[in-house]
Amino acid sequence: MQTPDNTMTEQLKDTTDLKKTKATDPAIESGLKRLTRDRIKRTINQVLEKETGPRFKAYVETCMRCGLCADACSYFLSNDRDPHFMPAAKVKNTIWKMLAKKGEVSKDFLRQAVRISHLECNVCKRCAMYCPFGIDIAYMMLLVRRICHKLEITPQYIQDTVNSHSVTLNQMWVKDDEWIDTLQWQEEDARDEFEDLQIPLDKVGADIMYSVIAPEPKFQAGLIYQAAAMMHAAGMDWTMPSTPGWDNSNMAMYTGDNEISGRIARAFFETAAKLRVKRVVMGECGHALRSVYDMGNRWNSWAMPPFEVVHALAFYHELLTEGRITIKEKYKKKVTLHDPCNVSRGRGLHDKARQVVNMVCENFVEMVPNREHNYCCGAGGGVINCGPPYKGERMVNNKNKAEQLAATGAEVLIAPCHNCHSGLEDIIHHYGLEMEIKFLGDLIYETMEKKIYTPGK
Amino acid sequence: MNSFIAFIMGPMVWISVIIFLGGLLIKFFGIIWSVRQKEPYIFSYMTVRHSLRSIGAWLIPFFPKSTRLRPVYYGVSYLFHILLFVIPLFLASHIVLINEAFQVSWPALNNSLADWLTLVVIAALVFFAVRRNMVPEVKFLTAATDYLLILVVILPFITGFLAYHQWFAYRWMVVAHVLSGELMLIIIPFSRFSHMLTAPLTRAYMGSEFGNVRHARDW
Amino acid sequence: MKPWKKKFIHRGNKMKKWTILAVVFGLLSAAGWMVVFAQEDQYLERLDSWAFESPRRPGAVFSHDDHIMDLDDDCSICHHVYEDGELMPGESSEDYYCSDCHSLTSAPDNKMPLEAAYHNLCKNCHFDRGKGPVLCGECHINE
Ligand code: SF4
Ligand code: SF4
Ligand code: SF4
Repeated sequence: MQTPDNTMTEQLKDTTDLKKTKATDPAIESGLKRLTRDRIKRTINQVLEKETGPRFKAYVETCMRCGLCADACSYFLSNDRDPHFMPAAKVKNTIWKMLAKKGEVSKDFLRQAVRISHLECNVCKRCAMYCPFGIDIAYMMLLVRRICHKLEITPQYIQDTVNSHSVTLNQMWVKDDEWIDTLQWQEEDARDEFEDLQIPLDKVGADIMYSVIAPEPKFQAGLIYQAAAMMHAAGMDWTMPSTPGWDNSNMAMYTGDNEISGRIARAFFETAAKLRVKRVVMGECGHALRSVYDMGNRWNSWAMPPFEVVHALAFYHELLTEGRITIKEKYKKKVTLHDPCNVSRGRGLHDKARQVVNMVCENFVEMVPNREHNYCCGAGGGVINCGPPYKGERMVNNKNKAEQLAATGAEVLIAPCHNCHSGLEDIIHHYGLEMEIKFLGDLIYETMEKKIYTPGK
Repeated sequence: MNSFIAFIMGPMVWISVIIFLGGLLIKFFGIIWSVRQKEPYIFSYMTVRHSLRSIGAWLIPFFPKSTRLRPVYYGVSYLFHILLFVIPLFLASHIVLINEAFQVSWPALNNSLADWLTLVVIAALVFFAVRRNMVPEVKFLTAATDYLLILVVILPFITGFLAYHQWFAYRWMVVAHVLSGELMLIIIPFSRFSHMLTAPLTRAYMGSEFGNVRHARDW
Repeated sequence: MKPWKKKFIHRGNKMKKWTILAVVFGLLSAAGWMVVFAQEDQYLERLDSWAFESPRRPGAVFSHDDHIMDLDDDCSICHHVYEDGELMPGESSEDYYCSDCHSLTSAPDNKMPLEAAYHNLCKNCHFDRGKGPVLCGECHINE
């Protein structure tokens, strides 16, 4: 365990008050009002009986209530080891009771179930590595979210992102022309630096389709610029789609709206198919990888994704080890690396990530624990997407992460995942950590040789 | 009385062993069948290699990180699970009975060693019960049935221990020993004791998801 | 006290658990003491187990007189004679040691090792007649 310094502990103390006022939001409350007992019962039983199988049954029957999963969960560790936040307890307070009462649960129970599944579990699956039986509690929490979705009591902000997905196929209500404009704007800006740089749109037969999540064009267009710079300097044959399907994020996956989640992933793969690319490269986002590499493809009956899906971390690794990009001068400041659960525990990219960091930075310190065992950011499993009403308690639930970060003494925190990035940024501000936070791409862009690529060279 | 003893030490043993093994077998094939019916995708992710890799990793004492965080509990738990099989299977008195019935035998534990190991099992079970009541996160999960399960396991060991020493009521103690042992066997397929079958399965599935799809370790 | 701990106090299952523990303990000790030490007065002798190498249990206790009486002086019921695996009716073998025929391990000329010979002979008869000791510690009474 890390020992936080005094100022930290002081900080941590006053946050405990935040927990007392348990927030809720209009979507949950009005949703609850609409519910009838009959509908609650029918929905719960439908999901638990018809949408699960022997796997669920085995999880419920096998759990020996040994409590060993407790130490896995950041929420438990951050809340003074309050048993309510322990993984198996979350199942007890949702699934076990639903089963015991055969779905006849109250609205208060449901209000609690929304909280537990959406705000007190980040579906990071760390607990599956600590339970001797490998019981997948994240899977069961997603089932609870599925029930909440079917009962229409999903928290407001995340539901809004799903609505956006449903209408526009992207998460942030980005309009079709806005998207193209943003890409062209970045292309233009980048040409000041790289004379012939292009962001090729809809180039059929390109090697690579590059895809991002909707927050990039919306708030962080600079990231597209950087990616384009890297593609250009490395001389890749790449393209970006101009039509819906460009967004690889998938919030519906986190609300249990599997139908929309499936549609999003399908549109994404269809876009890649239309462009007849060899592989899909995606920006630094964890949950998006989970969607197109793990969950979205399954909903569409592909055991594995129909395209080779390359996460930014693996892509950077490829560019650097193949010498397509060279580092001019290594980054000097002391950096540490957050292993996003969806790309390390979810895709095993932690070792490549370390190699890249070491190629780019001079002074790298590990946070403890790390790799598959890293603590979750407490944000990117859909928790941060539940929005501002819950920010206070999210900060309480992240105490453990703050301690872990503080113990590294690093000046720069690398977070190669969008949601981690936002979540960790909040943590840094809230706990007053003296740290900058960056994407790995930021550092590569900053340190790389800005060579101008000329075709045929 | 002798005919009652003949019954519980004869046909009743058969009945309980058949319920125990048959129950687990039926359960196993039931699981396989319903995986085929409802979740056939499970088979497309399971690989023998990754399943065994994960189960193997979790069988090595203090190899998984989780086991190193809780060394006392895991130590006791490992020992308990090994002894739970070793003591009954290698107890001289049991082997004598099996030899009389089937003319097969194998080396037995030294009597006084077995006696001490029995005490270790009883102590381990007491430890589990106390831990259930002491550690808040475990207590939070615990229901009366959890103590009941401990009771079911501890009874054959306590009665066996007392019977071996012939301290009191020998005949009744043996009867209680035989009956509680049979009760434990019979209960296994119908209770969470069936984790002896399902835990390797859930571990194998998680091990396959981690090894085969996620390319990560799960220990 | 940590704030969440308060929640436990009002749950009321503390009582329940102690009750269960008490009941369990009660049952166990009852099983022990309930029993009467009803032992009949017998002239018991302890059989000598010299024929066994390092026996695991003390020799069985046994009353020869009671057996002679109960078996109407038919010695051949226990002191039997087998030839080629066939019981020779009417013939008896009181002048031999059991171990003269029953070696410690089974051999071609002896299918029934000594230990099994004792156990089968005694227990089967006791089961058949519905009386007499049949459990390990009823014969091998601790010294
Ligand atoms: S999935 Fe992660 S957040 Fe959820 S209970 Fe498990 S460890 Fe905690
Ligand atoms: S570690 Fe596994 S078996 Fe133990 S309580 Fe947690 S989920 Fe249940
Ligand atoms: S945002 Fe990041 S650590 Fe956090 S859930 Fe993502 S992948 Fe996990």
